[in-house]
Parts: sequence; C-alpha cells; structure tokens
Amino acid sequence: MMREKRWFPILYMFLITAVFSTVVIGFTALTRDRVEANERLAFETAVLAVLPEMGGGLRSGSIHQRFVEQVSEPDGSSGGAYTLRKDGEIEAYALPFDGQGFWAPIRGVIGIAKDRKAVIGISFYEQAETPGLGAEIVKPAFCDQFKSKLLSQGDKPISIKRPGTELGESDVYAVTGATQTSVRLEAMVNDAVTTWQAKVGGEEGSG
Amino acid sequence: MSPATPTPRAKDIALQGLWRENPIFGQVLGICSTLAVTNLVLNTVVMCVGLVFTLSLSSATVSILRTLTPRNIRMMVETLIIAFYVIIVDVLLGAYWPAMRSNLGPYIGLIITNCIVMGRCEAYGNSNPPGRAFLDGFFMALGYSVILLIVATFREILGLGTFAGLAVPFFASPAWDKWIIMVTPPGAFFMLAIVVWVFRSIQQRKEEPAK
Repeated sequence: MMREKRWFPILYMFLITAVFSTVVIGFTALTRDRVEANERLAFETAVLAVLPEMGGGLRSGSIHQRFVEQVSEPDGSSGGAYTLRKDGEIEAYALPFDGQGFWAPIRGVIGIAKDRKAVIGISFYEQAETPGLGAEIVKPAFCDQFKSKLLSQGDKPISIKRPGTELGESDVYAVTGATQTSVRLEAMVNDAVTTWQAKVGGEEGSG
Repeated sequence: MSPATPTPRAKDIALQGLWRENPIFGQVLGICSTLAVTNLVLNTVVMCVGLVFTLSLSSATVSILRTLTPRNIRMMVETLIIAFYVIIVDVLLGAYWPAMRSNLGPYIGLIITNCIVMGRCEAYGNSNPPGRAFLDGFFMALGYSVILLIVATFREILGLGTFAGLAVPFFASPAWDKWIIMVTPPGAFFMLAIVVWVFRSIQQRKEEPAK
C-alpha cells in the first residue's frame, strides 16, 4: 500500500502544504484591494496628523476627501514632501520617511513648518516594534515631544537622546528600553530630513 | 472525573470545555494570550472570536485528515492547519478591521502557538470524528473566552473606568481613583490568579461529596 512507503509522508506534507497555501494565496488576492485602500488611508491619516489643524476629530470617511482637497502631492519645490498650501504658498511640509526598525520596517511622516526649521509633529502609519517598548513610539508621550522642536540645532537634524540627559532644541527623549528602535528611527528621520534639506535648500529665504 | 462514555453527547462536550476541563482554570493553558490582550474588553472579544474560529475548525480539519495523516508527521500537519486558519483570521482583520489588527499586533499570529489549539487537536481532534472534534474545539474555545472576558471586564473597569470603551458610572467619575496597575501586565497576573482561585474553589467544593 502507498501509505506504507517511506516517501509517503513527504508527498503528503508537500500536497497538503500546496492545498492550504493555494487557499491562503487566493484569499489574500481577494482582499488585496481592500488592504491597499486601508494602507492608503493609514498613510493619509498620518500625513493629516502632522499638518496644522488637519488631523483632529476626523471620521474615517472624510479623511480621504480632506486629503485630496487640502494636501498637495510632492513636487519640485517641496523636495519630495507633501505640502499644505494657502493661495499657492506653502504653509507646511509633511515629509514621509521609512527604514528598517527592530523587527520590521517603520514608516512615518514628519511635519515641518514653512520656515523649514520648526517641527510640527510626527506620526507613524506602519511599524511592528516590540509592544510596550519600541511600539511606544506611536504614543502621544513620545510623538508630542517633537512639537516645536527646531531642526539641525545640534550636529544632527534631530537627536533622540537617552532619558535623563540634557535636551537641546533639536533633541527628544528616547523610549526607555527601546535603544534599537530609537537608534534606527533617529537614523531614518535624519536621512529623510537631510535629503529634503538639500533639495529645498535650508531655511526659508536662503533657498 | 466521570467515566468516559463511548459516544459523548454534545452536552457532555460542552460541559467538559466550559467547566470540567476549562482550558484556563482546569488545564491552565493559553495563559500568555490571557495576560496579553485582556486589558481592553473589545480586543479580548476579537481575540476570542478568532480563537473560537481557529480552534473549532482546525480540530475538525485535523479530525477529517486523521486516518490519512502519517503518525510521525502529524504535529507538522496540525501546525500547518492551525497556521492556515490563523492567517485567514489575520487577512480578514487586515481587510475589514485594520485598526483592530494593529491593536492586537502580534497576538493574532500568536494564536498559532496557543497551547490550547495544539493541545485539543492532539488530544481530541486526532482520535474523534469531525463533528465531535468541531464541538470540542468550539466549547473549549468558548470556555477560554468566558474566563478571558471576566478578566478583561475587571481589568478595564478597575483600570480605566470603562467597559468596551463606554464609561461606567462611578468607576469613570473622579470618585474612583483608577487602578492603572490593572491595565499593565502585573494586573493581568493578579486578576488571572484570583479568577483561577475562585473557580477552582467552586469546582472542588462541588466535586468533594462525589469522592
């Protein structure tokens, strides 16, 4: 009988894996459109959250509409950042950044005022850091620190420092116990900001 | 323990899962997820629905394939089946309730390693027909859910003054000094220990006269 053959378990495992994988792949394909729409919405929410007077109190249905109406896509003058404009003048920048976190990629948006110096806010739309440690970066306790910090007052655009040390104008405190997340986050934000600064040319007026 | 009957009725299977061999206070299985997701009632409900779905269907599937699966690779096959249902839950949440998916974070994926699921597939699904395996999985998961919801209800009310996000009279008012420790991991240990203690005491009192 076939079941007694030594290769039967291998064939069985192979077949059963193929069957279940096929169903999972089919299922994923069926829901792909919805998942992509959700990801898009998460990104738009993150962008609105770092622009002045945009994020608060929106129902999920109106986020997409608000985004389309108010936010301008990146163009040459914005250095790759999304912008909020009033009568054609840039009011604020929302600069996306991403990079490898401790476990999985971290993606977020940093809001910068029109003077290209003051930070308005930071928000994340994708991360899978350790719950209770690295994942605390999405909490207001961490994010709110960035409000009204000034870029590049020290040696880096933004420094994430060990809690308890003295803070300069460009510094925020890290989440205790999440050293890896903090180091990686600092690097990815600074990379994005440095590239953006080079494109838009420093502070307003000088570029 | 009652003597095993050749064909247990659905009522017996239900009683087994919900009370006599309740996974949490009877077998003390699946404690990691109990501790992790029970600080908010809503998260707990979703976690429980996910577990009921996964456990009943994987146990039934293991049972359907039980005569075909070679004994020496059955654990691998069981893990594959469990993972399959968990991924389905994860994909569904990602598509229709992304906020909940990010709330639960890695814990949905960790249903795969929930010892209750593997335990029931091994102990019951492997040696019983699909219908009964499904019922056993369903009621075991329900027994788990009831305890989780009790723990979650106390933790959320005492710690945050809310129930499933809705303010509870008195506990939400300034008169109640919120026990923040209840929503942190240590609170879960305290609550779980108390719940296991209470239920085991009741169970023992009921069983003693029978001895």
